[in-house]
Amino acid sequence: MAKAFKNTPRGLSCHLEKAERELLRGLFNDVVTILEPDQPAAGADTDPLWALTGMDPAAHAVPAAAPRDGAELRLLPDAIRDDDGAALEFRRLTERGLRETKTAALRGAALALESPTVVLDEAAAVRFAAALNDVRLVLAQRLGVETEEDAERVHAVEDWSAAETVDEYLALVYNFTTWLQESLMQALADTL
Amino acid sequence: MPLMTAPTDVLPREETEQLRDLAVPYVLIVWNDPVNLMSYVSYVFRSHFGYSKAKADALMLEVHEQGRSVVASGPLEKIESDVAAMHAFGLWATFTRADGA
Repeated sequence: MAKAFKNTPRGLSCHLEKAERELLRGLFNDVVTILEPDQPAAGADTDPLWALTGMDPAAHAVPAAAPRDGAELRLLPDAIRDDDGAALEFRRLTERGLRETKTAALRGAALALESPTVVLDEAAAVRFAAALNDVRLVLAQRLGVETEEDAERVHAVEDWSAAETVDEYLALVYNFTTWLQESLMQALADTL
Repeated sequence: MPLMTAPTDVLPREETEQLRDLAVPYVLIVWNDPVNLMSYVSYVFRSHFGYSKAKADALMLEVHEQGRSVVASGPLEKIESDVAAMHAFGLWATFTRADGA
């Protein structure tokens, strides 16, 4: 059983079983995959000079539109309401950096799960909390959580042995990540 | 030769804040969503903006109960960077001209 985050002299620490760490690592990596910029189809039209460099021409591309996938859009939301042109302009300036910031936090969080006792300094703990939050945003989007009532419906699913559907399983995973993030926030609040 | 230093001319903080408020053209709005934890939102407001626990909690509750809250205001460059920071934290934030809010 996981033990909640605590504020210890060595840092913010929690205990996670192997299966729990593997689950979390998988979730962090799933969100990294969602955040990878769309790759143009590889093939005959690949510029041979780019191929020679071994670099990715798409790595420097600016987004041409807001993400179509709901989870991706929730991770990378529009910064301006009711003005798609201005929102896209802001996206061109910031989206790549935002993808990189989030991906770095998610990779760091996955790496922090090497041993059963997870110990994080304050900066790493904040990035871990942001990574957990991104996981929860994606799970919530997949579970259709849009209102407080939806959130309560998901929160009410608590019996692992009775989980039969994918949504019930996702709800249990969501509730586990919620519990872990909440315990981390309680421990972090003591550090401010 | 004695070193001469002119006294630094310091305006009281209240006054500079008022002057800045008069020139404020942009606001940062955080929107409610049922996913972000109250403790997390409050922590982000405290750590990013340097707000007190009381102020951060009040803004967080306003987001939760009113559906949105103006969390910061200032020149465009500052607000743009605040919005990007909120998005990095996964909060649902937008910005707009203060007079169009």
